[in-house]
Amino acid sequence: MLHTTPSGEPCGLVSNIQKYTIHDGPGIRTEVFFTGCPLRCLWCSNPETIAPYRRLGVYPDKCISLEKCGYCLSACPHGENSPLEFDGGGVLKAAPPSERCAGCTRCADECPSRALKLWGEQTTVPELMKIIAEDRNFYRRTGGGVTLSGGEVTLQWEFASMLLEACHKASINTCVESALHCAPEHMEAVYEHTDLVIADIKHMDTKKHREYTGAGNERILENLRRTVQLGMKLVIRTPVVFGFNGDDENIRRTAEFIRDELGGRIIQYQLLPYRKMGTEKYDSLGIPYPMGDYSPPERADWEARLLRLQDMLSDEYGLPAVAGSSKKLDIGG
Amino acid sequence: MSPTATAAAARVSFTSDENLAQNRDTYKHAYLIDTDPQPIEPFDKDWGVAISGNTPEPSPFERINKILAITAKTTNGFVAPDAAELVTQAYIEHSGEPALLKRAYAVAKVLDEAPLYIFPHELVVGCLCCDKKGAPVFPEFGFNWVVNEMRDGLMGYSEKRTHDYFTYTADTQERLEKLRDFWDGNTVEDMTRSMLTDDVIKGSHDGKGVFFADAYIFCGAGHLGLEFERLLTLGLGGIRDMITGYESKLSLSDPADIEKRAFYKAAGIVADAAQRHVNRYAELAEEMARGESDAVRAEELRQIAANCRWIATNPPRTFWEAIQLVNLAVDLVYVECNGHSVCYGRFDQYMYPFYRHDIETGASTREQMQELIENFFIKVWDLNKLRNHILIRTFGNGGIGGPALTVGGITKDGGDGTNELTFMALDAHAHIRIPCPWLAVRMHANTPWELKIKVANLIRMGTGEPKIFNDDVAIPSMLTSDVELRDARDYQVVGCVEPDPSGKAYGWKDCGHMNIARVLELAINDGRCYNCGQGCPRWERCGKVGQRLGLATGSLADFTSFDQVLEAYDKQMEYWCDRQLALLNTVDIVHRKMYPLPLLSTFMDGCIESGKDVTAGGAKYNFSGPQGVGIGTAGDGLATIKQLVFDEKRVTGRELLDAVTANWEGYESLYAYVNSDRVHHYGNDDDYADLLAKFAMDTWCKHVEHRPNAHGGFFQPGAYSVTVNVAHGQNQWASIDGRKAFEPVSDCMGAVHTKCCSHDVRGPLAICKSVTKLDHARATNGTLLNWKFSPGALAGDTGRDNFIALMEEYIHRKGMHSQFTVANQETLIAAQKDPDEYKDLLVRVAGYSAYFVELNRALQDDIIGRTSLSFD
Repeated sequence: MLHTTPSGEPCGLVSNIQKYTIHDGPGIRTEVFFTGCPLRCLWCSNPETIAPYRRLGVYPDKCISLEKCGYCLSACPHGENSPLEFDGGGVLKAAPPSERCAGCTRCADECPSRALKLWGEQTTVPELMKIIAEDRNFYRRTGGGVTLSGGEVTLQWEFASMLLEACHKASINTCVESALHCAPEHMEAVYEHTDLVIADIKHMDTKKHREYTGAGNERILENLRRTVQLGMKLVIRTPVVFGFNGDDENIRRTAEFIRDELGGRIIQYQLLPYRKMGTEKYDSLGIPYPMGDYSPPERADWEARLLRLQDMLSDEYGLPAVAGSSKKLDIGG
Repeated sequence: MSPTATAAAARVSFTSDENLAQNRDTYKHAYLIDTDPQPIEPFDKDWGVAISGNTPEPSPFERINKILAITAKTTNGFVAPDAAELVTQAYIEHSGEPALLKRAYAVAKVLDEAPLYIFPHELVVGCLCCDKKGAPVFPEFGFNWVVNEMRDGLMGYSEKRTHDYFTYTADTQERLEKLRDFWDGNTVEDMTRSMLTDDVIKGSHDGKGVFFADAYIFCGAGHLGLEFERLLTLGLGGIRDMITGYESKLSLSDPADIEKRAFYKAAGIVADAAQRHVNRYAELAEEMARGESDAVRAEELRQIAANCRWIATNPPRTFWEAIQLVNLAVDLVYVECNGHSVCYGRFDQYMYPFYRHDIETGASTREQMQELIENFFIKVWDLNKLRNHILIRTFGNGGIGGPALTVGGITKDGGDGTNELTFMALDAHAHIRIPCPWLAVRMHANTPWELKIKVANLIRMGTGEPKIFNDDVAIPSMLTSDVELRDARDYQVVGCVEPDPSGKAYGWKDCGHMNIARVLELAINDGRCYNCGQGCPRWERCGKVGQRLGLATGSLADFTSFDQVLEAYDKQMEYWCDRQLALLNTVDIVHRKMYPLPLLSTFMDGCIESGKDVTAGGAKYNFSGPQGVGIGTAGDGLATIKQLVFDEKRVTGRELLDAVTANWEGYESLYAYVNSDRVHHYGNDDDYADLLAKFAMDTWCKHVEHRPNAHGGFFQPGAYSVTVNVAHGQNQWASIDGRKAFEPVSDCMGAVHTKCCSHDVRGPLAICKSVTKLDHARATNGTLLNWKFSPGALAGDTGRDNFIALMEEYIHRKGMHSQFTVANQETLIAAQKDPDEYKDLLVRVAGYSAYFVELNRALQDDIIGRTSLSFD
């Protein structure tokens, strides 16, 4: 899906640009979060990136109230019949505007306290490159660069390819974090200017995979095989959610897949802990947190279990397994 | 049960990553980390992340752990009256003599007669003529306050003094009361007051607090270092010979030489007394050895005696003798000067010949020297200083203040000076985990990688030590103050922030602060305070009768261009700098007249040679260094005005003035807007705001730099607040940048964080770039940026190496100086609620580290409020 600006220029829909990220690829990186995702992982901590269009987030804590402000209503084309909802004290409710909202976002533009926040902005390659280039010295010092993440990068594969190419032209290292639930040709187009791929194996059982992410894993596993065939540098991650995919059997099956079908040709296999994050973003979007009923094990408990899995993977399968993402990635030249 | 109580039994082997995973509050579980201290640590020893001081028995040396066990982790202390009595007696005995000689006799009397102490287990001796944590009284500076605070209950613990309180016996109070009449009207404070006009006082600490200039009224000279290299080469005897040598060349009748003769006489009196004083330690150690039942300890005491006996006259031969002399020399100076921040210079450089000597001759092992360094560091923490309750509130914390010790950096010849002692000094901090001395590591483009790893690991530990100084900007900066190249390369860091030519400069560092954000207020409000009104103590003679505090520079309501704002700020700044410098030079003159420092003069380069006391300009270099405070607040204020009033015309100047005058009440949406990322703010790598912050700072520098001071040199501007941004904020109504009344102004070179939100929102790289757009070299009295990291951002190899890269880039961009807090917000808040469980929690304040629970509440809040740089 390729977006265009009103003037017809190709652009991407980007939710956020995060600087000084140090866990998604080597060195100090600037991370660009793409908007829109085909999966619905229950543990997703970036719900604002799921829908492939601009979203309005509402943060009641920041709202000054209609009495003291009211800029949003003045800006809204619906005026008094604004689709924005307020509580009795005139403070914005944590709910998305109703369907009457045409998505003009003027309220967010005017809100002085940023109680209304726009997720997803149309951004062109030159605009992004300007921001990315600001930290070029830090990339060079640390072997860092740019990481495209999301949402799902391959959903906007044309724009991603353009952006990655621009990075390479500027001698900036590139990394793509993707679920790889996409058409292989889109993936390959993105890979043309990608130095490192970070991809998940969320579950080896496709039924379970579908249950927790909304899609089966066949396409993902096939794309992973293809990724290795293409000689791409690859980091594999499993977001370990105990009770879903953290059992020995699934982790062993994952290890066998990496060892046998990918030939073990990966840089790292990272076991990432599930953390209940992004709940305030769910609230701002008026979406209930999907794993609200899930109670994870105690921190010390899951930490120990992750470390045990890490040892099992490296001892029994010879995989470069690590718990967490703070071990340095060595991707060579 | 406290974590430390169970620690020895429960100690298990957790890595720092695992420790981080244990809990958001890593500090609480820190004692679980098995740090396994070694006498000689590998360069990449990882002590864990954010564990601060919460580790029992951190040292590999049993002796050091025993000394730590009897050393209170507090800056509270007790009042020691002995020196005050002896000084008074000497002044009575020598009443007709010049101040220089009165001082010399007084110091000699204290050194000869005040009690001495040698504490259990220690190998290095010295004290301020009182027990651990005792503070002598210096009546010459100002004495009524001491007696009054005792009478009024303001010296001990009270609601007005919740930290840094001092106990005293009835006997102490009685003895000091007896001295009151003698000193009443005859102190530095009294003479200073008599020489000042209301025009100078009105904006000061004693008036409306536009500037402070009181540090050197109530305290003596500080923020300097001794010429250790000369001292260690010549020894005390050699220095005495030097005095005699110069004295013998004087002509009998030349008037200049007659004055010099008085100086040499005074210097001779104190130099002799210093030698006798060191011998008193030898005698005490011998006496204690005779009464000691433990044969091992008796032998140690005999060796201490032999060391003191030798160095009383001769240059030291061994590492042990040298470190003993260094420790005693600084104590001697404290006894004379009532100072703080008497610093330990480039420890790894001047001690290195002794290290080599001991290794080559087998006089001692590396392990033994490591133990001596750790012992010496704890000695620094034993020292204390009495301050009045107002100064304590201003600074938020007390203690001796400012005992900096510098390692690393470029040598006089231009090479890299890193050596084994550089690493050993840093390990010593990890092995004692107390906030003394204040460690500074000098870095530059060619600093060895191993040292960067050592420093990063120490910083990650979270005690706030060490600070990082950048040679590549500090040295060129010193050259602009006419410091010779070799001296500039040999700089040490003194006190919190200031680069100083080691042992060669009487620098009057940190002598005052100007709240440049307050200057902006007066600049755009026609010289009047926003909250001008009947509540003000000056109302009757100021606002009520049509007067104003500052210079009439026009009103923002009337300005038609932004250039007029800048011009008004410039003029207002000049007006206040004139007044601050007037006050500082007055105090400087009074020091020269009433409080010469003959003993310090013998330890500094230039005084013996020139025959002049340091207070009279005898040192090789002579500076005075006040600081500009509130750079971010002033910069964001200017950016807000430029953008909203002149560029966007969103509000009028009148509306902005009305909003701040109303403390933003009734202007909630404007308040939110001004605090939001829609307004250009300093700290986001945004030239619009960053260059205005630069203008705010440059204007301050322009009106201070190179103006003459009263001891033969000139002024050097600094750009930092340390902790006084809190006190300055308490003196200031709301401000244009979105600050409400009495909130702190921005700290040091940092961005604004108001109660509403932090103004720097683009992460550490943007901060690094914004801050280095300011001209650090121009702030010849030093700059400081406080960084605060959440532990997760520094965990693992990834966190460590990317942190190093960030520091490298800051150095590359010519940022002068960084300090670091590594703690969870949660930990700090928990410590506020439950201080007893967090007694060992060391944090970076600014310029120094302190036990968090010992800071005042406002300062704790300010530290909690600093933007936390975190990836998650």
